[in-house]
Amino acid sequence: MLGFLFGEALRDLRRAGRVAVAAILLITLSLAALGGFWLVSANVGQAAAHWRDRVRIIVYLKREPSADDAHALVERVLAMPGVGAVRYVSKAEALGTLKQVLGKDASVAEQLPANPLPASLEVTLTAEGTTPEGARGLIARLSGLSEADEVGGGIDWIERLARGQRLLEVIGLGVGAVLAMAAILTVTTATTLVLHARRQELEIMRLVGAPELVVRLPLLLQGMLQGLVGAVMAIWVLIVLYTIAGPRLEPLVSQTLGLERLTFLRPQTVVALMFAGTMLGGFGGWLARGRTER
Amino acid sequence: MIELHRVWKVFAVGPVKVPALSDVSFRVAKGEFVTLHGASGAGKTTLLRLLYREELPTEGEIEVLDYDVPALRVREVAELRRSIGVVFQDAKLLPGRTVYENVAFVLRVLGTPRREITPRVFDALRAVGLSSRAQAYPAQLSQGEAQRAALARAIARNPLLLLADEPTGSLDDTMAAEVVDIVKDIWAGGTTVLFATHQARLAAALRQRTLTLVGGRLVKDEG
Ligand SMILES: Nc1ncnc2c1ncn2[C@@H]1O[C@H](COP(=O)(O)OP(=O)(O)OP(=O)(O)O)[C@@H](O)[C@H]1O
Ligand SMILES: [Mg+2]
Repeated sequence: MLGFLFGEALRDLRRAGRVAVAAILLITLSLAALGGFWLVSANVGQAAAHWRDRVRIIVYLKREPSADDAHALVERVLAMPGVGAVRYVSKAEALGTLKQVLGKDASVAEQLPANPLPASLEVTLTAEGTTPEGARGLIARLSGLSEADEVGGGIDWIERLARGQRLLEVIGLGVGAVLAMAAILTVTTATTLVLHARRQELEIMRLVGAPELVVRLPLLLQGMLQGLVGAVMAIWVLIVLYTIAGPRLEPLVSQTLGLERLTFLRPQTVVALMFAGTMLGGFGGWLARGRTER
Repeated sequence: MIELHRVWKVFAVGPVKVPALSDVSFRVAKGEFVTLHGASGAGKTTLLRLLYREELPTEGEIEVLDYDVPALRVREVAELRRSIGVVFQDAKLLPGRTVYENVAFVLRVLGTPRREITPRVFDALRAVGLSSRAQAYPAQLSQGEAQRAALARAIARNPLLLLADEPTGSLDDTMAAEVVDIVKDIWAGGTTVLFATHQARLAAALRQRTLTLVGGRLVKDEG
């Protein structure tokens, strides 16, 4: 029975011919667009996550505390919500780091009459603390410390990156949705053609009392087949684009975003795209059935 | 098996009301062979269509195979139809499929197990003398062959009730007699038969109980 239903569905696909091909191409296009935006957005998201891990907030202190006071201060900051780690950097250490950075020009620093660098705290955020609100709250709290002179750093630009990622997702969903609508309508048209070509078969089925499922399933299946073929083609397009464009883009991406490698869609996402395609097609087929129902 | 009580069927064609059947009542018992005779337009096809719920009566009660036909829901309509074999006046063979496939199509659609299909299709084709034309397409058949193919399709699933709407419609006397013999064989196998024809001579030759329709009224029930 299942073989028969699939056979009928394939026969239907052949009959819908060019419209079925158009439907498949539209599904390919819509899912490739959706998947493409998804791909870019996933990589941008990864860059944002990468940078979030490296976020530091620096609290410059008004004067260098004694070792005990420094220790107590670190403990107090550690107790604040959203703080992952705190490192105390003394004036001397700061100067040492500066000398290291200056390298052979370090003698410039040695000519200074006094160490101009302030002592500071390097605060690393916890994963939960790395939100715009969390970071802002923490910066406000750190600024409120009586020892604090100035608070630097923050995550605003990373948030801009994350906002960019969300924008990409929205655009991707929008473009994908519009194309998906077009795809559904085309599948519906293809199925309507099938219905027209099959009206004699459908009439006989009805007249001999075929179960509703037997009448309906081949129509649904041919729609789903269109969707699945479209989805597989969309994934194939994405793979081709990724292999061609990926190596060319990687140097650029690693310099600007700090990502060493671009990643492809995760297997779950690929499966989700195939599922989405199948559903799109099935929905189109089902809609056509509804329109001709008596 | 079949019971009609005061059945009316009125078609509205624009503002004009066409009574196709007027106050028709009769019964057919299990195992009977009943001829339904009437001139063209007398209401034979309409009456048969009421029996398998392709039309609803304007008024009156219809019972077929213990189903209260006008009250059936979609699922039950399908159930009823599975027990009835219909030879349509216009044959309704699928042009894109061979004779074999036409008969097999109905069996498959009704969920007959795969290995039973071929033997049952050939049994039916043998019964109507069409085994040798199994691979022909409907367009390649003579009218008599096409009507026998339609008959084979109707009997392939061993219906309890066979409704034959002019299965000899456009055939000459010898061919009509052949089809009649086939239908009588099916009847002899235990199937209840309702056989519609506009040919008075054929109705008489059948020598069975005959219901005569004139202008939608049942005017005679004899034999
Ligand atoms: N769907 C319909 N709409 C309007 N009138 C109809 C419809 N179907 C049948 N009729 C009318 O009902 C009457 C009976 O038609 P029916 O087809 O039952 O006759 P019949 O006895 O089968 O004729 P024939 O021997 O030519 O097949 C006719 O006058 C016909 O025009
Ligand atoms: Mg008729």
